[in-house]
Amino acid sequence: MYEFRYSNVQREMEVYGYDEMVKTSCRGCHGGCGVYVYVKDGKIAKIQGNPDHPINHGTLCSKGLAAAQLVYSPDRLKYPLKRVGPKASGKWERISWDEALDTIAAHILEYKEKFGPESVVFGYGTGRENEAVIYRIANLLGSPNTLTAGHFCYGPRISTGIITIGTNPIVDYENLPKCVMLWGNNVTTVNADEYKGEPFSVALDAGAKLIVVDPRLTRPAARADVWLQLRPGTDGALALGMLNYIINENLYDREFCENFTFGWDEFVARVNEYPLDKVEKITWVPKEKIMEAARLFATTKPAGIQWGVAIEQQINCVDNDRLLMCIMALTGNLDKPGGQALFRTPKVVNVGQFGAHGFLTPAQSQKRLGGDRFRLSSRFAIINPKCVWDAINDEKPYPVKMLFFISSNPMMTRPNAKDVYKALENVEFMAVADFHHTPTTELADIVLPAAHWLEMDYVGDFWKRHGYIVTRRKVVQTGECRSDHEMLNDLAHRIGQGEMWWDNFEQAMDYILSPSGMNWQDLKEVDYIRGEVKYFKYLDNGFSTPTRKVELKSTILEKMGYDPIPQHREPPEGPYTTPEIYKDYPYILITGVRIPGFFHSEYQGLPWVRELSKDPLVQIHPEAAAKEGIKEGDWVVLESLRGKVRMKATLFAGMDPRILSAQHARWFPEDKDPRHGWERSNISVLLSDALEEQDPTFGASNLKTALCRIRPEYPKEAVHE
Amino acid sequence: MSNFKVVFDEKSCWGCRACEVACKQEKNPFSYDAYNPENPDSTCHLSVRADGPKEVDGTLDFTWRVTICKHCDDPPCAEACPEGAITKDPATGIVLLDSEKCIGCSLCVEACPYDAINYNDSNGKASKCDLCYNRVINGLIPACADNVCLAHCVYFGDEKDIGEMIKEKPWLKHRLEGTLGSMVITVEG
Repeated sequence: MYEFRYSNVQREMEVYGYDEMVKTSCRGCHGGCGVYVYVKDGKIAKIQGNPDHPINHGTLCSKGLAAAQLVYSPDRLKYPLKRVGPKASGKWERISWDEALDTIAAHILEYKEKFGPESVVFGYGTGRENEAVIYRIANLLGSPNTLTAGHFCYGPRISTGIITIGTNPIVDYENLPKCVMLWGNNVTTVNADEYKGEPFSVALDAGAKLIVVDPRLTRPAARADVWLQLRPGTDGALALGMLNYIINENLYDREFCENFTFGWDEFVARVNEYPLDKVEKITWVPKEKIMEAARLFATTKPAGIQWGVAIEQQINCVDNDRLLMCIMALTGNLDKPGGQALFRTPKVVNVGQFGAHGFLTPAQSQKRLGGDRFRLSSRFAIINPKCVWDAINDEKPYPVKMLFFISSNPMMTRPNAKDVYKALENVEFMAVADFHHTPTTELADIVLPAAHWLEMDYVGDFWKRHGYIVTRRKVVQTGECRSDHEMLNDLAHRIGQGEMWWDNFEQAMDYILSPSGMNWQDLKEVDYIRGEVKYFKYLDNGFSTPTRKVELKSTILEKMGYDPIPQHREPPEGPYTTPEIYKDYPYILITGVRIPGFFHSEYQGLPWVRELSKDPLVQIHPEAAAKEGIKEGDWVVLESLRGKVRMKATLFAGMDPRILSAQHARWFPEDKDPRHGWERSNISVLLSDALEEQDPTFGASNLKTALCRIRPEYPKEAVHE
Repeated sequence: MSNFKVVFDEKSCWGCRACEVACKQEKNPFSYDAYNPENPDSTCHLSVRADGPKEVDGTLDFTWRVTICKHCDDPPCAEACPEGAITKDPATGIVLLDSEKCIGCSLCVEACPYDAINYNDSNGKASKCDLCYNRVINGLIPACADNVCLAHCVYFGDEKDIGEMIKEKPWLKHRLEGTLGSMVITVEG
């Protein structure tokens, strides 16, 4: 009789002769999964999941499994560099950390003196657990401008959550929802924020019903009890239609609504503007399907909505988010076991406090770029990238002279890539910290080598809303790489912020943990800590909003001068909004369908994951392909009003023939030209960053609804060369 | 004799492809080059491919299919090999391909009804899944099946039990009780 156990550490050590196993937590995406890292002769030999970890229960994704390929990549930056040729010349010279940080510090102080601290913009990409430390240095400097992905990713969920129900509601998978509605999110392959796909999958295996809202037939959509195949950019109308049915069929939780919601009558009046016939026309979803889904969700309890960025990367971002929260509230699922939990983080210094937002003076805060226009995001210290590019290029409303990007590659990930390129080319001084060169670092003046998650200690996940903090333990050191936290702690001392920082970053982690009575050494003894788990908190205290109720009508948005009741807004480009453009550009382009193995622009140079998706792909329906003369595997040219790129076509019958779906952030690390082919297949070239086309409240960009056309690439055609 | 098997429950597969990378990590230890389209792909003995979307019984369906050696009872690849390089290990039931003996004639590739054997241009030899033979005989679960899959859709066990395991999902009880780490899978032998 043979006996086997999952992730059998003792046997692994014996069989492979590993020297050591270090338990840590991955941050291949936003992070959180517990991992075992086996080490042999000082080198990482293998990564496995920790089966006893509450986030992943031992499972891992392709990114986590390939992590050591990035640690030891020959392309890895190991020392600070300064550029010694023109931008994008690829001419670099090794310098010391002292020279690099002193140079950056000197520029910060000079621009602060001459143009004000607002002329220095710090930035990061998607959540890499460095946000609090970056906001801290910017706020203490007096710059209100920290450029993140927050305007169209996660920031809207947090902000709308806070103003509507007090926090970000998370599906409580641990208590097994009986129905899950997957909306604009495929949690099985994406880079989820809180819980990953594993608990979602387990909930289904334990018997949960599934509703999927997605324009494309994903595997979850194929497995769903109801699939709502909507037109991209009509999520708000669909939610209003479902709410219409739930209210008028008396499927809502009357007691909850009477006692715990604010603005009921006006909200119902708005919902009644969206009868199902109208919603069917807007969304392309048959009304019977909408009714079926609404009834299933409203009558199967507890139930939760697993929502994603797809609903945020639209002009109706904020109202889409709020409408989904209204569905959660009306069906009585908020703060309920197995429903939509409002988790409490462990008692620690939270990201807001650590980010030192309170130290930014009101006068500086008022200078936040785009703050007059996007007033809700500005309240949450989030800015729109176009506002920064304009301030660099046109010096309006004031000049931005310096960018300091940490783990950010905006050339590949922000709309209208040519606009981004122009700004990065024009900016006077730019520093970038990253793992390796990217199209963005190649335009920098100074490049800093960032430590990988396997190379740092950290209080992981402390910015998230699932109620956990996970322990990240350093396994190896590469070159002179430093964690984002350590490099900024050092830089802060060089720009006169020393008394607000620490001698080393372990002290900062002690500070973060201090309210819990623990310090870093204590956290290192455990794999995670969890906040107090409590449901139905609103019965005692109400919700953490100005009215202490779920604000179906937002008092905060009303004060800011916005429509306080959520609505549907048509995409700025589309078959109904701009029929004249639609004539020449007859496809609705979805961008950003997630690619297993990649995290936006990251990991495309790692063989184990790049081999899963070698070429940049666009999905086209077989009928459309036949019409356009395109066959499987053909190189095609995609074109919008903004520009064109080349991608490889793949036929996909699981969507409306009027839709195309293109991968995002595709560049070519293997292309040794310093531009790394950044515009060849970069779908952002096709997307608009015009301010009037962003969400009016938050500045969210439309990544899911641009109009475009497609044709086979002509023989020997080179789009950009 | 025991009969070790890895079986994918394709109904549960989400297409995340972690199993492929788990296989690569096992079969390409300490392989840390950068991606170069000129290089041969990393060794990988399984692949996850889309099936559809296509009409099935009047509705559009979309499934992921996993191609991997099934370690057949009567392997046609072994019969096809003129060098006797492919054998079924009597102790474990694992079908092994001896790379030393392989002459690269590709007859096994053609003989396999599951498309589960690769011919590698780089070394001129065939290769296939060995069910992580060295792990299995040492009491370790094959890399792809070692609880890596977030859908828990990769089953490892005794051939006679595995159909029942897929139906009964014995891991689910352990998972819900938080004891996945101490769950025991037994194979007779």
